[in-house]
Amino acid sequence: MTQDLAGRAAGDGAAVDGDRAAVTGEGVAADGGSVAADGVSGAADGVSGAADGSSGAADGGRSRPAGSRLGVLGWLRWGWRQLTSMRTALVLLFLLALASIPGSVLPQQGIDPAAVTQYYAAHPALAPFLARLSGFDVFGSPWFAAIYLLLFTSLAGCVLPRTFRLARSAGQPPPAAPRYLGRLPQAAGFATTLAPDQALESAAALLRRRRFRVRKGAGWVSAEKGYLHETGNLLFHVALLGLLVSVALGGLFGYKGNRLLVEGDTFANTPVGLDVFRPGRLVTAGSLQPFSITLKKFSARYITSGDQRGQPAKFAAWLRYNSRYGGPMRSYDLQVNHPLNVDGVQVFLIGHGYAPVFKVTDGTGAVRFDQPVPFIPVEQSGLTSAGVVKVPDAHPRQLGFAGVFLPTEIDVGGRLASAFPAAEYPRVSLVSYAGNLGVNSGQPQSVYSLDTSHMRRLAVSPRPLAPGQSITLPNGLGKLTFTGYRRWVSLAITYDPGQLPALVSAVAALCGLILSFLVRRRRMFVRAAPAGSDRDGAASEMTAVAVGGLTRSDAAGGFAAEFAELATEIMREVRGEAAADSHQPGGASTGDSHEAPPLAGDLTQAAGAKGE
Amino acid sequence: MPNTGLADVSNVALVLAIAIYAVAMVAYAFDFAFGKRRPSAVSPASATPAAAQAGTRPELVAAAVGSSVAELAGRGSPADPADLADPADPAAPAKPAEPAAYGVLPAPAPPAASPPRWPQGTWLRLGFLLTCAGLVLQLTAVATRGLSEHRIPWGNMYEFIAAITCAAVLALVFGAIRFRAYYLGLFVLLPVVLALAVDVVVIYTPEGQLVPALQSYWIAIHVTGMIIAIGAYILGAVAAVLYLLLARYERRAAAGQPTGAAGIFDRLPGADTLDRLSYRTILFAFPAWTFAVIAGAIWADHAWGRYWGWDPKETWSFIIWLVYAAYLHARATAGWRGRRAAYIQLFGFGCVLFNLVGVNLWVSGLHSYAGLPH
Repeated sequence: MTQDLAGRAAGDGAAVDGDRAAVTGEGVAADGGSVAADGVSGAADGVSGAADGSSGAADGGRSRPAGSRLGVLGWLRWGWRQLTSMRTALVLLFLLALASIPGSVLPQQGIDPAAVTQYYAAHPALAPFLARLSGFDVFGSPWFAAIYLLLFTSLAGCVLPRTFRLARSAGQPPPAAPRYLGRLPQAAGFATTLAPDQALESAAALLRRRRFRVRKGAGWVSAEKGYLHETGNLLFHVALLGLLVSVALGGLFGYKGNRLLVEGDTFANTPVGLDVFRPGRLVTAGSLQPFSITLKKFSARYITSGDQRGQPAKFAAWLRYNSRYGGPMRSYDLQVNHPLNVDGVQVFLIGHGYAPVFKVTDGTGAVRFDQPVPFIPVEQSGLTSAGVVKVPDAHPRQLGFAGVFLPTEIDVGGRLASAFPAAEYPRVSLVSYAGNLGVNSGQPQSVYSLDTSHMRRLAVSPRPLAPGQSITLPNGLGKLTFTGYRRWVSLAITYDPGQLPALVSAVAALCGLILSFLVRRRRMFVRAAPAGSDRDGAASEMTAVAVGGLTRSDAAGGFAAEFAELATEIMREVRGEAAADSHQPGGASTGDSHEAPPLAGDLTQAAGAKGE
Repeated sequence: MPNTGLADVSNVALVLAIAIYAVAMVAYAFDFAFGKRRPSAVSPASATPAAAQAGTRPELVAAAVGSSVAELAGRGSPADPADLADPADPAAPAKPAEPAAYGVLPAPAPPAASPPRWPQGTWLRLGFLLTCAGLVLQLTAVATRGLSEHRIPWGNMYEFIAAITCAAVLALVFGAIRFRAYYLGLFVLLPVVLALAVDVVVIYTPEGQLVPALQSYWIAIHVTGMIIAIGAYILGAVAAVLYLLLARYERRAAAGQPTGAAGIFDRLPGADTLDRLSYRTILFAFPAWTFAVIAGAIWADHAWGRYWGWDPKETWSFIIWLVYAAYLHARATAGWRGRRAAYIQLFGFGCVLFNLVGVNLWVSGLHSYAGLPH
């Protein structure tokens, strides 16, 4: 019933106002004394009239502003009201949910660029079309931004006025009691021998004890409680705005980087030192925190038996780092779920692999290559890794090798495979090429792929090499030795100044949400007046007391019970005082007539009328 | 090393729990078939008017003397009617009094006696008892599984579904006692038993260790939050489906159209009660989901270096959050509350299911821990 009232007021009356505060059910409470007019008188003579009369207006209003006499300002006001209306917010919430779906279905450039490349290869016709629609960058696309910016504008347009109204109403006493409490969704009445003023005083005292904010007028008491409901609701919505600002902060001043680091190597946190560097819009090279990190050792432990054999159990990287050039070196045990924090920049362990070490002697007998080469895992269960070795300085021909590193090599029917991710039986199998690597052509090349279009495959058996073994190239082109292997780790370096504000906003949003769900804002009204004199003389000394209750935030129910309890307590309180009064000599009432006589009255009808 | 003996205990306990749930379902069904028709199921909120109507206690007297309080207060009050309008508010015009339009106000009644706390009728009592027994067994299964692995037992899809269904039954038992909603038993246990059967038969995963990515105390916070929220979402969705069916039944019955399954519908409370129960469940589940998403974001920040990265699982959590937020807003919007809001809620639950099953099976991402062959 409360909902019905709210609904009608919202749907018809308030929609004309275009004020979402009223729609969400806070309007009545927030608008001070207008409760009587909107919520109650309106509900009686008004609501049906308003509903019939203005539903047309509201419908018309939804499609266009009423009348063409609206100027530019009028149209703007109308547009603003549409934008900040609850219906628009609903539609925008849905649109945002809908717009997120492609981001989870299509590969995203910012998350998995390799998958995007694969998608291009698999759907050559569709991919460019999708790319034009920002299908591979959904969450950075203009249309996604348009939806969430509209939603947040709508939210701000709704929440900020409500905040001001709440701030105003917090300093104000509750509104006057409506005249006809019987029209309220919750109402009850009883008779007492206490004089009206005394009855009201006693009811007000009870309500004050129950921590209501109480206002007294001539013949009425009005009380309100539960301002935290609206406070929580607003806190939630304002915190969402804060979350958006935090994300923007990270996007402007934060940066992300990746770096693959082989055991024994060091890198500095500079745009050049990072393999991948994605700065925020306002990040300059000079604003990067000047730390450097050396990977001393990486260890991986795997489950060696049972169903989960080969699954990783623990990764640990031992780092030495300093926070600025020449600063003191410190150690850190970097693990998954255990990042390193240097001056607010976080360093994460996100990947690992093997870097076999090769020594290449060319045809002239000079050592042209002697270093570890990171190989990239192509499968996880055995960590078979692929990589290439390029020796552009070799004479008389440039040399190139492509192949795989097998941590625990096994021969599966003539095909090489790795049975276990740890290096139990490490082998390397390479195909050798000689010719032009193409590195001098000026075209940028990946260090992980070999362009063999200008190279000749050498007739060398790609038999697996154990550490220490070599292959001698034909025609005196040189020799390659697999001297051993090292581990490498892949580090993610992130700096996000919006992190803490985002956390604070999120926690505030959650608190606001819980507060608004737990607290109900409600009003209690009491009216007392001498009973009519159209009965016999005894009845005319009685006082009729009416109690009414109103809430707008009770969709889950429960106010009816609370009202029943409060109204009963008010009755007991008032009657209790009347009883105490009657025993005093010279009391207002005489003898044993303090208990009101049972009265005729069609309760069913009253309750029924109320329930309509 | 996992303790295989305890894990076996867990497996047996889970199968037993499924069997007991199935028997409980039969008992609930028998209650619908043979139990007494409930006179009118009374919800906590609708209890008061009912009590007021039935209020025969002598102290609960009708109020006004001679005529209505409203009339008295308006006419005989010493206060001038104009005083009542807030002078600061021009929107409150002084309206002429409308005497006796509202009849006599009911006397205040103390909160009505709620319907009996414990289930009534042999079959319903048996069904509820079996539900509790099954729940104890399922809790045992989850606990022994965790003990056998020396970790919190939600590391893969098998364990996750066992935990979610456990949360759903927990929500059922809580809701049944708190809101006297024993009639929900059959409708909640049906999806629970189906899900558990699939869990045990199709996606069983032997006990084992966690991958390093999951080795964090955040799994206890983030995933537990998700489990609790999804358990409540299940209860909310079941109540929403019942609400939609009941609303349709009530509409048709009111219009004199033929209705099916009146035997069941007449034994359920009114559509309003189910709507409110569903809403209350979401009032709990939505903050729980919000909490779990925030906890997940904090964990993601620890593990992956960003609190939000639009991983498919994250994206769908966000979508779910939006849809349930839309549900809550729809409840407060004219023209959307009621059936439309219930449809939004069910759409949200569909997203929960897709996030649980679809994203694990068909979309690869950072949350690929299901332990299922792709």
